[in-house]
Amino acid sequence: MSMPPTSTPPTSMPRMSPHPAPALGVVGLSSGYAGAVVVREVNLAIGAGEILAVLGKNGMGKSTLLKAVMGFLPKMAGSVTIAGTEATRLSPHRVARLGVGYVAQEKALFQDLTVEENLKLAVRGRDFAAALAEVEASFPFLLQRLRQRAGTLSGGEQKMLLMARSLATGARLLLVDEITEGLQPSVIDRLAGVIRSARERHGTTMLLVEQHLPFALAVADRWAVLDRGEIAEAGASIETGARERVLKHLSV
Amino acid sequence: MTEARRLSLILAAALLALAAIFAGPTVLDTYSVNVLTRSLLYAAVALTVDLLWGYLGILTFGQSVFFACGAYAAGLVFTHMDFTPGNAALALALGIGAALFTAAIVGWLAFWHGASALYASVITLVLPIVATQLLYSGGTFTGSSSGLSGFTSFDLSTEAWFWLAGSFLVAMTTLAYIVVQSDAGRLLVAVRENEQRCKYLGLNTSRLKIRVYLACAVIGAVAGYIYAAYAMVVAPELAGFVFGTELVIWTALGGRGTLLGPVFGALIVDYESAQLSGNFPFVWQLIIGTVFVLVIVAFPRGLLPMLFDLPRRLLGLLRPRAAVARPARVALATLDAAQTQGAEVGNGPALAVTGVARRFGSLTVLDGIDFKARAGELVSLVGPNGAGKTTLMRCIADGAERSAGTIIVNGHDIGRRPPEACVALGVGRKFQMANVFETLTVAECLQIARARHSRPSLWRRAQRLPLPEAAMHVIATTGLDRQLSTPAHLLSHGLKQALELSMVLALEPRVLLLDEPTAGLTKTERMQIGAILIDLAKKQGLCVLLVEHDLDFVREISSRVIVLHQGRIVLDGSVEEVVASELVKQVYAGSGHAGIAHETAPKTGGQEVPA
Repeated sequence: MSMPPTSTPPTSMPRMSPHPAPALGVVGLSSGYAGAVVVREVNLAIGAGEILAVLGKNGMGKSTLLKAVMGFLPKMAGSVTIAGTEATRLSPHRVARLGVGYVAQEKALFQDLTVEENLKLAVRGRDFAAALAEVEASFPFLLQRLRQRAGTLSGGEQKMLLMARSLATGARLLLVDEITEGLQPSVIDRLAGVIRSARERHGTTMLLVEQHLPFALAVADRWAVLDRGEIAEAGASIETGARERVLKHLSV
Repeated sequence: MTEARRLSLILAAALLALAAIFAGPTVLDTYSVNVLTRSLLYAAVALTVDLLWGYLGILTFGQSVFFACGAYAAGLVFTHMDFTPGNAALALALGIGAALFTAAIVGWLAFWHGASALYASVITLVLPIVATQLLYSGGTFTGSSSGLSGFTSFDLSTEAWFWLAGSFLVAMTTLAYIVVQSDAGRLLVAVRENEQRCKYLGLNTSRLKIRVYLACAVIGAVAGYIYAAYAMVVAPELAGFVFGTELVIWTALGGRGTLLGPVFGALIVDYESAQLSGNFPFVWQLIIGTVFVLVIVAFPRGLLPMLFDLPRRLLGLLRPRAAVARPARVALATLDAAQTQGAEVGNGPALAVTGVARRFGSLTVLDGIDFKARAGELVSLVGPNGAGKTTLMRCIADGAERSAGTIIVNGHDIGRRPPEACVALGVGRKFQMANVFETLTVAECLQIARARHSRPSLWRRAQRLPLPEAAMHVIATTGLDRQLSTPAHLLSHGLKQALELSMVLALEPRVLLLDEPTAGLTKTERMQIGAILIDLAKKQGLCVLLVEHDLDFVREISSRVIVLHQGRIVLDGSVEEVVASELVKQVYAGSGHAGIAHETAPKTGGQEVPA
């Protein structure tokens, strides 16, 4: 496996947005669990309305990166800014109030609440009719299941509810952890469209952690590969050879 | 550290504690010796609360009742019969018998298949109230509210009672310590952590809980018997709800799940209460209450874990710890083919599902499911999200799940058997979301998975863990063997999936149910695991039923595909037939991976997700 020398990490990624502050700015971020540094000195800058896919093998720190940004894990070094606001030391609910939505990989729905209650809790205080219109645009089948308990939806349906709920919150920045897992192929296709369309309409910025490479490259503007907690390589999705460059890191 | 060394260290600590007990009366005043004798016996009961609550996860308020069983047996026999050595032995036997009888009833009520953790707490909350009422209504036989006193008992000095109570406590604590540190002790934690996974690993968790509960009842009864014989008075308060709750408070204060914490918690609080109630008769309960609230708020895990954490925290401030991989305690090994012990193959087909339906109220999730699969066949189950795939898996692995129909697995009709009995017939089920024991290490998770085959020792820790070849393959392929001492909750999502798959393979199943076994793994790892599955089916004749969304993966590994749509089987055929079918293209498959185009827009209302 070839990796760029660790002495020259891509310190600042080019920004596409003309805005002065990135929607998400991560500088020199290190994080992990007690006794184990999982993410090392990661630098990221995502412009407003941009979609970045973070790829990489298992256990390379992708989910840890999201949890650290969200404030679920302590940061050992580095800083995080959200649309210019310092967010390094904020707890998760404060980060969420800055307009950040987190689509977790597991146990993210209120299992004993209905589909409708799950949606209502997420859009708290905002226009629920607008939220339902958003659900109709993403996964309309959910509207027929409003009274069903979320825990009784199938695994894939729960994933769809999770994504629909996040889009309905009107979050400015979405951190999405492996949303395609457990989804049937045609739904993954649809999801790609849903995400692109949400971005067109609302200018939502997104950080997607993905294993599904074709989906990631189809949806994201840019990609970055995490290898042992460091960004090993990054680029734009439309560049020729992007797929091969990523695959090089994914195969042992 | 070798096993012999570890065990001799524990015994050395026990001897040291015994020496302290024997030196006690020489340095303490008579009053303290008297009070502490009681505290030592209470501590033994607190120990049982910790075993049940701290290790097994059963919050119990009723341990006082078992203490009272032993105490009242002594009180009643010595009051109504003469005190003779024979009667003393009879009283002890009666006390233990009554405790076992009560515990068996409570255990049966609280831990039957399907009872939730709340059952145990509610029942043990009611138990002391019922017991106290019974003692009150016993008239002169039980002494009603004033209890029994003035009976003759063993003629021992104050020091001798202290030594006896102390030795009993040291012996029980040592025993409990050895058990919780052993392989069997890990099993207790596994049950607390994830009882469902334990059942699906073929372990009868209800029986395990009842056994531990019975053992704890006996310890409580013996402590109560010694108490009555020493104090020569018994009162209904011994069986009461207040005492039962105090035991829980001492356990929480000392630090649950540590054994020593609750023992010292009980000793210190009970001893100090006796002292303070003399000096501050009106406010001592307020003081105890305040301390309790402060400790729980400041150190939710209790005092002992806090004391252990203190040096670690102080040192941690000085030097940040780097990621150091701890050496694994257990060495993995491949099980010899001769040692494998898969379930016995019955006369019927490997897997036969006939007329199976599953309804939730008016909602029908599965209807008229009929199919058979041979040994050596690798069948993929595909279908839209919500088609009932996971429900079907659940019906095959738990006899109580289906609403209608019959299921034959490995040649045996599963009837209404619970999951652990289905495992015994040869079923292995991997869940959709990784389902492992979060606080246990990778090696411990694998050990629990083997517990059905090799009974875990009550006092030793295995140094070697033989696993079937297939499990070893998955472990090596995914690199889990380098993380044997990592707690499962620190594993990445994909590695958790791989761990659960290895755990299920460690069961040596004959019929393997895999719900998206490779979700979260990279394409390369998927293909490697696919090869292992093919091997299992072809060479070892397993029947594999697999839920999978990646049609490339399905095409690569399966011999046959069943398509489930809206709770019914709509297609059952070879991979080529199914993938090429119009129906699958229409309701399931996407435009193909490479086909996801940048400009794909949601066609609102166009492409409905099947409900």
